[in-house]
Amino acid sequence: MSASPLLETRNLGVRFGGLQALEAVDLQIQRGEIFGLLGPNGAGKTTLFNLISGITPASSGTVLWRGASISGLDANRIARLGLARTFQNLRLFNSLSCRDNVLVGLHRQARLPWSDALLGTPLARRRQRALEARAQELLELLEIGHLASQNAAGLSYGDRRRLEMARALANSPELLLLDEPAAGMNPGEKDALRALIRRLRDQFDLTILIIEHHVPLMLGLCDRLAVLNFGRRIALGTPEQVRQNPAVIEAYLGVSS
Amino acid sequence: MDASLLTQMLIGALLGLSVYLPLRCGQLSLATPGFYAIGGTLAALLSTRVNALGGTEATYPIHAVLLEMVLAALLCGLLATGIGALVLRLRGVYLAIATIALVEILRVTTLNQEALGGAVGIFGIPQPFNEPGGYALFTLVLLAACCWLCDRLERNRLGRAMAAIRDDALAAACQGIDTDRTKLVAFVLSAVVAGLVGVISAHFLNSWNARLGNFDASITTLAFVVFGGSRTWAGPVLGGLMLTALPELLRPIGDLRLIVFGLVILVGPLLLPQGLINPALINWIQTRLGGRWLLPSDQGGPP
Repeated sequence: MSASPLLETRNLGVRFGGLQALEAVDLQIQRGEIFGLLGPNGAGKTTLFNLISGITPASSGTVLWRGASISGLDANRIARLGLARTFQNLRLFNSLSCRDNVLVGLHRQARLPWSDALLGTPLARRRQRALEARAQELLELLEIGHLASQNAAGLSYGDRRRLEMARALANSPELLLLDEPAAGMNPGEKDALRALIRRLRDQFDLTILIIEHHVPLMLGLCDRLAVLNFGRRIALGTPEQVRQNPAVIEAYLGVSS
Repeated sequence: MDASLLTQMLIGALLGLSVYLPLRCGQLSLATPGFYAIGGTLAALLSTRVNALGGTEATYPIHAVLLEMVLAALLCGLLATGIGALVLRLRGVYLAIATIALVEILRVTTLNQEALGGAVGIFGIPQPFNEPGGYALFTLVLLAACCWLCDRLERNRLGRAMAAIRDDALAAACQGIDTDRTKLVAFVLSAVVAGLVGVISAHFLNSWNARLGNFDASITTLAFVVFGGSRTWAGPVLGGLMLTALPELLRPIGDLRLIVFGLVILVGPLLLPQGLINPALINWIQTRLGGRWLLPSDQGGPP
């Protein structure tokens, strides 16, 4: 009998007008796992992320966090429970510096009595210094520490991806949702990313749910994988099981005649 | 420069700050003149109708003005909380339209209620200061306090949250920021500032009528922020000071001044789309002075 999963989706579905984007998806993510979501374009992977993080309301089914339903909660409430995410199409705060982007990610830890915040008391200054030090640490972990004062808008594509991950880590999440973190990276960078994600999991005691198109990366990285196609879960299991699943081979390669 | 014009300029700067606060979290609210009118009407009514406050034709105790300001702040704050909860669901130009409607509702209501001054207005508002200099000093203190407050705000958690919402509200929510509440706080602060300015204005102008808080005022106060820049509090303050002074300073050239004023408002944003105090200037000042001047850490925008 295993412990209750950290995150569970039960019969989760969403319909946009006539399009059933996701249908009856059941997943159980165990604590400490690196769980991959594979699937062709339009399979519903990002939609699933949006349902979990409270951006899109589900049409049916529920999302359970530590066994309790979080369906219908606002995105900010869900974030405060300990779920952080990155975005496939990168949503940074472009008028802010890298440091401030991470400081916004530290929002939850930055709480102060309003009188201290207003008057800039020694307590407030100490806390501000501690927050900035923490932000710098996270930036350095993602190897963009030297860019701290740079504007987020001016970064290269790869650095923007790193900044998004630093910001998500700043939320000090238990579950990290990564939406195509390797997009636009070259093979060498992809290898480095795989090592980094493993390291982050161990260092921050994270559970990671990851969407990625690059199949070899996913097979090498994930403990378990689910494959979506046309909004349905067509396979679930270890990388080896998924690799040999006929439905997956069909979805990716078509049926052999 | 005479103290009267200086007072007007300082009032302009304060109204600019009031428009700037919601704009800092990306909310284009034009409600400032509405709350300004509420503050002004409240002060006019209390000081002329309530004898207990000690107002006569000529004098008025300063503590009574402070009491009016507290009441105006409370009234505007409460009203803004209720209205904000409704209208802040709207975005962009729709919020602007809803807040223009609010300003018009308040104006028309005042115009048609004899008790609120009606079409004639309220005259003979008692004077707490004998000299215009007194008003200038009083307004300057209020402006300094508001600038200090905005500066603190921009450097702390709430200010960062506001900037994050301006850049990307959805990503901000995913950082655990309660976007609705943050926008509401900005809207309420904006209303409180406008209400306080209304109280001072009513005494300073000596008379008050519904036309002081109309659609024109919405656009004028918005121009302060567009002209001055909306990246930091210094922008709307500078915009408010300059655009209030300009028509008066141009008075010697007669009717031509209206054309010159129009040109300035037109050309300003064309040459400096992000306002006088723009991200490029902020970066320049920061590299020159090497400190955290104008803005907390290095939040300039793309030049």
